[in-house]
Amino acid sequence: MSSRSLNKKFDKILAREEAGELSSNSGSRALKKLLNNRLALVGLILFSIIIFTAVFAPLFTSADPMKINLRNLSQPPSADHWFGTDKTGRDVFARVLYGGRVSILVGLGSGIIAAIIGVLVGAYTGYKGGWLDVIALRVSELFMSFPQIILVLLLVSIIGQSLINLMIIFVLTGWGGMYRMARARMLSLREEEYVQALQSFGLSTATICYKHILPNALGPIMVNITLSTAAFILAEAGLSFLGLGVPASIPTWGNILNVAQEIRVLQNFWWMWLPVGATISLFVLSVNFIGDGLRDATDPSQQG
Amino acid sequence: MLTYVIRRILILIPMLLTISFLVYTALELTPGDAVSALINPEVASRLSDAQFAELREAYGLNKPFIVRYGIWLSNVMQGNFGHSLAGGVPISTIFLDRLPATLELSLVALLFSTVLGCILGTYSALKRGSITDSSLTVVGMIGVSIPEFFFGLVALLIFALNLGWLPVGGRLLPGYETIWDRVPHIIMPAMVLSLMMTAGVMRYARSSMLDALTREFITTARSKGLPEWRINLLHGFRVALTPVIVLIGFRLPLLIGGSVIIEQVFQWPGIGNEFIGAVRGSDYPLVMMIALFSVFAVLMASLIIDVLTALIDPRVRLS
Amino acid sequence: MAGTQDVALSVKDLKTYFYTNNRCNKAVNGVSFEIRKGKTLCIVGESGCGKSVTASTIMQLLPKLSRIEQGQITYHSDDGDVNIEQLDRDGKEMRAIRGSEIAMIFQDPMTALNPVYTIGFQIGESLKYHTDLSRSEIRAKTIDLLRDMGISLPEMRVDDYPHSYSGGMRQRAMIAMAMSCNPKILIADEPTTALDVTIQSQIFELMEKLKTENETAIMLITHDMGVVAELADDVAVMYMGNIVEAGTVDQVLRYPVHPYTRALLESIPVLGRGRDQDIQPIAGSTPDPYDRPKGCQFAPRCKFRVDACDVMPDEVTYNETHRVMCWRYQEFLPDAE
Repeated sequence: MSSRSLNKKFDKILAREEAGELSSNSGSRALKKLLNNRLALVGLILFSIIIFTAVFAPLFTSADPMKINLRNLSQPPSADHWFGTDKTGRDVFARVLYGGRVSILVGLGSGIIAAIIGVLVGAYTGYKGGWLDVIALRVSELFMSFPQIILVLLLVSIIGQSLINLMIIFVLTGWGGMYRMARARMLSLREEEYVQALQSFGLSTATICYKHILPNALGPIMVNITLSTAAFILAEAGLSFLGLGVPASIPTWGNILNVAQEIRVLQNFWWMWLPVGATISLFVLSVNFIGDGLRDATDPSQQG
Repeated sequence: MLTYVIRRILILIPMLLTISFLVYTALELTPGDAVSALINPEVASRLSDAQFAELREAYGLNKPFIVRYGIWLSNVMQGNFGHSLAGGVPISTIFLDRLPATLELSLVALLFSTVLGCILGTYSALKRGSITDSSLTVVGMIGVSIPEFFFGLVALLIFALNLGWLPVGGRLLPGYETIWDRVPHIIMPAMVLSLMMTAGVMRYARSSMLDALTREFITTARSKGLPEWRINLLHGFRVALTPVIVLIGFRLPLLIGGSVIIEQVFQWPGIGNEFIGAVRGSDYPLVMMIALFSVFAVLMASLIIDVLTALIDPRVRLS
Repeated sequence: MAGTQDVALSVKDLKTYFYTNNRCNKAVNGVSFEIRKGKTLCIVGESGCGKSVTASTIMQLLPKLSRIEQGQITYHSDDGDVNIEQLDRDGKEMRAIRGSEIAMIFQDPMTALNPVYTIGFQIGESLKYHTDLSRSEIRAKTIDLLRDMGISLPEMRVDDYPHSYSGGMRQRAMIAMAMSCNPKILIADEPTTALDVTIQSQIFELMEKLKTENETAIMLITHDMGVVAELADDVAVMYMGNIVEAGTVDQVLRYPVHPYTRALLESIPVLGRGRDQDIQPIAGSTPDPYDRPKGCQFAPRCKFRVDACDVMPDEVTYNETHRVMCWRYQEFLPDAE
């Protein structure tokens, strides 16, 4: 910001302060900050729209995403088919909406399950310490030393392709990050002076854990869920694009994109892959905006 | 410094052993005869049952599991990675063939994203709150949100198919050998591959720089009457660099993973391309060896990163 | 007070406000004082009273979201007066003064030194920008400085990183850095708070020596009345952004007339007086800077509060070496008691 505009801003604040208009803040600062963050708000709106249209897909389209129509192959977008039709005459718009259900389920579902497992294991072993902690730490290191997509593909090649398998694999490869965060959080919070102060007041361990430590870790946990959800949605899209993710019979965002591997489709039938790619990008973007807003809102060290 | 490096290498060994053991176990459990993993399947198919049994004995395949693992491991250490199920090519040959392409792509992307990410992130931090800063933040967010392969497809459509400026794929046409023949091929895959990494490095460099700028030694530097550029770069950036390099180390697996899909999009003849083919064809020996190799690569990269941080930050050397 | 040629720096009616979180904090709300050549001015007060902000203001080291509202900071250099408040924060003139004419040392030597550079490099930086010395001369001078500050084996320690120095040594290195260009004024912001008591006296001895040898004017910020008694020539007591009482150390410590100064002095135990001494803690706590009392800032905690205190008292210079900001100071004058 230039010094002149800064000076103007200062004058304004000073005038209001002198007039006694400013008073001490009350209410949830975190919530206020989240709502004040324009990007997070945009993210929240975008996120809600995409979720809503996917969940209530039948309200927005009467087309059947699976119905093959041989008289309507590779049609460009029209009033009947907003995103056109694919090579077997299926309505792309309907496929994007219904595909969103599966993709979001895989991403959000795996993200939440991985978070729950990671936090439970991390908090427990971080608190208990001992050999259990060592084993969990080593196992997580093991998982994390693989490039994620290679580990995922390795597991896919071993246990085979299916929706459930994919989610299992995502949880398996994704719990480590959350586990380490929860554990590190637990370890450092246990050493924090305010926690030690609470201990010296004679508060019970359970009270300290749930009333004082957990709320402090909640922000990072939420942020982590958004991050892993975004990562899983991208991973699903990538895998299905390669034809190695969710079986091709189920419409998902990645599976719809699969056709773009063909140069002919890429060049001539943009509607078959561009809208769905944009949808994935927008959805992941909205999740990242929310995650970023949450991070700013829950991090008390950041002021502005 | 040397003891530090040796200590870091010693830490890696149990990890590699564990993973190699898991990989071997998986190899034994997956379809495909252990003999065929060791000798050329073409030869194996011409053998009689008696000869086959003899070979099994000779390779120690009737011995207990743990011994078989030992034999396999010593083979691997000598560069005998076994054979691919498809075509019976030695896996080491495949590695020699494909690895240079992948390394070339990853290194160019790594270099590009590190340099650009650091510059943009630092600039953004120094101009905190400005319009440039907020636009860079949003662009960075978009960068980490677009699936890399989708970005690649769009780039392909625009620059190769519509404008015809860059080739659609591949690494090198036969008969063209100079460096200038290579450059057009690598531009798109490398840019696309580094997109996410650049955005990540930028965001991290920004916050790391902001953090460094609030430290007290910055005030000290300013109180000495140093010019702003020196305070920002020599004192701020230098300190902010350590966590950024650590982050790049953490992100390397992502880069390697990303190259798997990008190689597919641009038909880049690298290891990732081979890996996808192997997964599709259930070529387990090849899948396992590439996975094992990727772990090795990640661990080595993290070692290099550790040494690098120790070199630039005197605090790390002591702890 | 002393004639102007003895004064190194004078501050007049200085106001510095902070603008964070969309609020305005009047951190320094009209202070005036002078730092005399070869003398030590101690600024005392509780944390948050604005004493550190005053120091940063003089050095123009304020954070971005703050500004000097009004007042003058005049540096009386050998080549005439410089009005610091009119200089560009990071402009050339200001940079030429910082580190060379006015130098500063900080509270925590652990964080005030850059961990990734050697001590020698960080001291040399000052010399590089304020002198014409060559590389080797800078190195030689740096080693000399370290030796002067009492660091043993300076030829070797000069290439060490801060983390291999102890806290006391780091503060010595900081002082070496500050003194490298023979500044006219040294601002020390609680230089010993983070150090052991034994180290503390060594550091003060060092500062005393510098003061007498180089005629350096020292502005020492502290919350420790013992330090004041030992080192100060002049004292200014700050409370919530104002100097409530100021004067020579004799005057202020012997005949304190502001209730806050008196309370401060009563709240310290005196060594050797035994267990039964009457220690009076100051009642209440410092007010929220965003929700200040109307008049005298100390009134809510003051034992001598009257209705007049709802209006801010003026600064009264009741004798040559003593001024105060209180409606009832006359009742505490030495003759009145």
